[in-house]
Amino acid sequence: MAYSDKVIDHYNNPRNVGSFDKSDADVGTGIVGAPECGDVMKLQLRINPDSRVIEDARFKTFGCGSAIASSSYVTELVKGKHIDEAMTIKNTVIVSELNLPPVKIHCSVLAEDAIKAAIGDWKKHHEDGEPAAAEQRKAQEG
Amino acid sequence: MITCPSCMRAQAPALVCAGCGAPLGANLDLFAAMNLPRRLTIDAAAMERAYHDLSRRIHPDRFAAAPAAVRDASMRATALLTRAYRSLRDPISRGRYWLELHGRKLGENNQQVPAELAAMVFETQERLEELRDSRTPENLAAARTRQTEAARVLADAKAELARNFAAWDGAGEDADEERRKARFTNLKAILSKIAYLTTLERDIFRELETARAA
Repeated sequence: MAYSDKVIDHYNNPRNVGSFDKSDADVGTGIVGAPECGDVMKLQLRINPDSRVIEDARFKTFGCGSAIASSSYVTELVKGKHIDEAMTIKNTVIVSELNLPPVKIHCSVLAEDAIKAAIGDWKKHHEDGEPAAAEQRKAQEG
Repeated sequence: MITCPSCMRAQAPALVCAGCGAPLGANLDLFAAMNLPRRLTIDAAAMERAYHDLSRRIHPDRFAAAPAAVRDASMRATALLTRAYRSLRDPISRGRYWLELHGRKLGENNQQVPAELAAMVFETQERLEELRDSRTPENLAAARTRQTEAARVLADAKAELARNFAAWDGAGEDADEERRKARFTNLKAILSKIAYLTTLERDIFRELETARAA
């Protein structure tokens, strides 16, 4: 199976590889895995607590070229987005951008899950569970 | 109903004919092929004996001079029996077959693993990467520690699998749909976990072998 040019580009020049300090309150960390192929992906997002905009992203993935390209692309995709918008990103966007073949669609699913896991982790530091609870708290404080 | 190609007796599908004992060549689920009840806990020794006994009785060599329909039945029955033995002998593939048998085959796209397992796999892969980059005694020791840890978690998962099997067998003809669903969900989760850990163990093993060879 041949990889698309875009997959090869992300594989050879992965964007935003690395990590942030996990204990930083502004950082959300998502680690997700695909049991059938053994891949594992870590995505970290630095989120502005006031604007709730994703200011920066880092990833590290152990897996095939498509998994690396999917997570690399996602770091570019989420930057500058509000977390609510980032939560709506579907794996199909990744599939079409990278021209992933059907057998590699699970790599894009993994990357989508990673975004949700990272934002979910950040929310844990910033909200007590439901977003409504945080809004309420804000209203009371205000 | 199926007709025995040897003695022409009509009967319910089975591996061998109830009348003459010749292979029938019927399509059967793998439990039926081995003449086993549909239970997940299997007596390994009894299964071994049944396999050897049945394979002798249907072996193509015994039917080399028989009519084409009988030879064909012998070949098909042998292929089925071999597949049944291979799939049911090992608890992990037996569990996978159980899902397949009930139309719930383990997909590769939809299996989410628990966060702590993904984190453990990630950290282990990082240790392996460090070992690849620099074969120091410290990195080697760290990788070995991870190997022990992975083996322990895998052993736990296999014990969980045995408990899930016991729950199925204990439930018998339990018609409670909710509990059935929960057992399927649990079985899928355990098998995914085992698949993930098995791959991880292989990765660790390879990396340690490479380090040893260097």
